[in-house]
Amino acid sequence: MALFDSISISGTGLYAHRKWLDAVSDNIANINTTNAPGEDAFRARMVDVQAFNYGGEGGVRVAGAKFGSAEGRMVYEPDNADADADGYVRYPDIDLGDQMTQLMMAQRGYQANISSIKAATEAYQSALQLGKG
Amino acid sequence: MIGDTTMSALHASLSGLAQRQRVTADNIANINTPGYLAGRVDFESALKNELADGETPVAGRSAELRSSDPTNTNGNNVNLDTETVIQTETGLRYQLALNALNGKYAQLRSALRTS
Repeated sequence: MALFDSISISGTGLYAHRKWLDAVSDNIANINTTNAPGEDAFRARMVDVQAFNYGGEGGVRVAGAKFGSAEGRMVYEPDNADADADGYVRYPDIDLGDQMTQLMMAQRGYQANISSIKAATEAYQSALQLGKG
Repeated sequence: MIGDTTMSALHASLSGLAQRQRVTADNIANINTPGYLAGRVDFESALKNELADGETPVAGRSAELRSSDPTNTNGNNVNLDTETVIQTETGLRYQLALNALNGKYAQLRSALRTS
């Protein structure tokens, strides 16, 4: 067991939740991104996490990313520069409500890990005072 | 003797509490991981038995279990309220054990000064 283990475990939690926040902000930033006809729509990114060494040293790791539909949704906008011959534009299939929910979950998860680090730091700091009394 | 049963018991409980702190950090890190079951640490049972049998307690004899609480739709059963309570309580108990150990050291120190 490494020294100050609790802190590094919470560190993996911070990293995973930050990756999730990154993915959500990327999705929201591209919510109205359109591409030329024939190209794929912007695909929503979903971070895939796994428990690291379950029952062993612990922590969480980002196992990869999953992507949403390349089909997107077709919106009739004949004046748009990216409209196809029939006047349809391919928008990404991203739901803002869903992204905002994920944003909050990622944010709260991040905060929970921060308070976890604080609790561990307090305990370690008193342990460092052992025998000085 | 410098080390006695009290010190061994305090050492065992410090080590058990540190492990619980680590496992709780792990649970919180995995709060959004699909399929993750919260870990629980039990060092009290082993410590209690050792003390009841008059043995010298040994650190590191704790059992790590998985919570059987009902899971979420994604197979995860970490509950932030529970984990925060455990974390706070473990932190305070850790400090309590440290204070007790410090008291033992202070006794030893004053014994060494007397001559």
